[in-house]
Amino acid sequence: MRLAFILSEIGSGLRRNLSMVVSVILVTFVSLTFVGAAGMLQMQINQMKGYWYDKVQVAIFLCSEGSTAPGCASGPVTPEQQQGLNALLESPAVAQYINDFQFESKDEAYKHFKDQFSNSPIVDSVTPDQLPASFRINMKDPEKYQIISETFSSQPGVETVIDQRQLLERLFSVMNGASLVAVGIAGVMIVCAILLIATTIRLSAFSRRRETGIMRLVGASKTVIQLPFILEGVIAAVIGAALASGTLWAVAHFFLGDYMSRQYPDTAFISSGQTLILVPALLILGGSLAGISSLLTLRRYLRV
Amino acid sequence: MIRFENVTKVYDQKARPALDSINLEIDRGEFAFLVGASGSGKSTFLRLVLKEDRATSGAVYVAGQNVAKISSWRVPRLRRGIGVVFQDFRLLPQKNVFANVAFAMQVIGKSRSVIRDTVPEVLKTVGLEGKEHRMPHELSGGEQQRVAIARAVVNRPGILLADEPTGNLDPTTSMGIMGVLDKINQNGTTVVMATHDDDIVNEMRKRVVELRNGVVIRDEAKALYTSMIPVVGQSRRLKDASGREAPDGGLPGNGAEGEAQR
Repeated sequence: MRLAFILSEIGSGLRRNLSMVVSVILVTFVSLTFVGAAGMLQMQINQMKGYWYDKVQVAIFLCSEGSTAPGCASGPVTPEQQQGLNALLESPAVAQYINDFQFESKDEAYKHFKDQFSNSPIVDSVTPDQLPASFRINMKDPEKYQIISETFSSQPGVETVIDQRQLLERLFSVMNGASLVAVGIAGVMIVCAILLIATTIRLSAFSRRRETGIMRLVGASKTVIQLPFILEGVIAAVIGAALASGTLWAVAHFFLGDYMSRQYPDTAFISSGQTLILVPALLILGGSLAGISSLLTLRRYLRV
Repeated sequence: MIRFENVTKVYDQKARPALDSINLEIDRGEFAFLVGASGSGKSTFLRLVLKEDRATSGAVYVAGQNVAKISSWRVPRLRRGIGVVFQDFRLLPQKNVFANVAFAMQVIGKSRSVIRDTVPEVLKTVGLEGKEHRMPHELSGGEQQRVAIARAVVNRPGILLADEPTGNLDPTTSMGIMGVLDKINQNGTTVVMATHDDDIVNEMRKRVVELRNGVVIRDEAKALYTSMIPVVGQSRRLKDASGREAPDGGLPGNGAEGEAQR
């Protein structure tokens, strides 16, 4: 009975204050969309880093079937060439610059490729044969990349030596900057949302002061008097959070999944499924913001 | 049922106290009129009983409990034992008669079936049978006040406080309301009624407590509005003062206004 009563109070409160409630929904929607966008950018960065990014700096790709690099004129790398490279990496002249190195076979390369590009249609058209085997090197000092490059580029059986960080670092710094901007805008919008929720609750408490006055006099508990107001704000904010979640999912699904991954098939994009882990975070954030701000407002404007 | 021990209430340090060392006891089942000019302390008395305000000094006991010792989360329970009726009825305009009375039960979590049984019964007590579905604006002032009384007593409080319940009503209607209050009192509820209405007080012949400037100047059983001991001139003056605004200003924060505003 009490629950039904509280629910009907919430309903009448939402109806009476409809325009304010809509503005609360929109402001939380926009602010949480920015929060979620920052989260998505970070997820995208992780996705692009792939298996090796945080572990090594330099990759020595070995010649495979159909390599066109000048070092690969004699065809795919032979086991002897591979052993020679291994020995060279272990030789004191080179070993002083590196922490350690690992060999990635074609099959391992295929496995890591599949993990990184699991969201992309390209994964179905690639076979282990097409991927080069490689040595992955963890440098003591990433700046010494040049030494490794000079030593190995001319070795037989080496297709190319790549500093992965150099390729991606600039892109990542742009994306990190973008997510900082998104967090900044989200912060301002969240302040807006909190103030707007506070104002809405105040108006709502004022327009229902007759009811709350009577409730007080007949001995209604604090919970029964305050809960409808708090839930009113929380419901509006949660609707806003749900809209934000839907928007982020749609961006991941339609923009990244359909459009961008067709435009840039060699880039790994996050899937729409991955954005779903943001949903509970956004809902909790929205709900708790509204709950706390309406509770604080009620303490000032609703005597119980 | 209600006991005031040396109760003083000061709103403003510079002004005289609203209540000044009041000692008063109202027994269970009693019917007491609280009379006096505006600003004499009647509303402050009622607010202290409800714990709307805290006494500056002294102790207020309601149903055996020292009100000052009731923690804030238990105040609702205190108020469930007290019904209140005001001069301006305070009905919810968008709810019909039944819903207005039921509201008082809904907010303290009474079940739907209990509400369905109790509300018509109470409406019968106050003489509003068959008007369950009327809206407040369709009712006369007297009928609206009956709804307000029904709402105040629907949870069977031990005490009913009435703050000038007949202030907006004509004498005939007022007598009808008094009949209702008397009936409720007959059922065992303690009734304390603050009023200016001398006709009613003279008609009812109940206990009369007269306040002036925050002091009890008369406490008589089966009394009249003005003192039976004739003090010529003074009673005349008192009567005049009750008709107009008191020259020394009304109560700050009168209980009749000032709900959820702060």
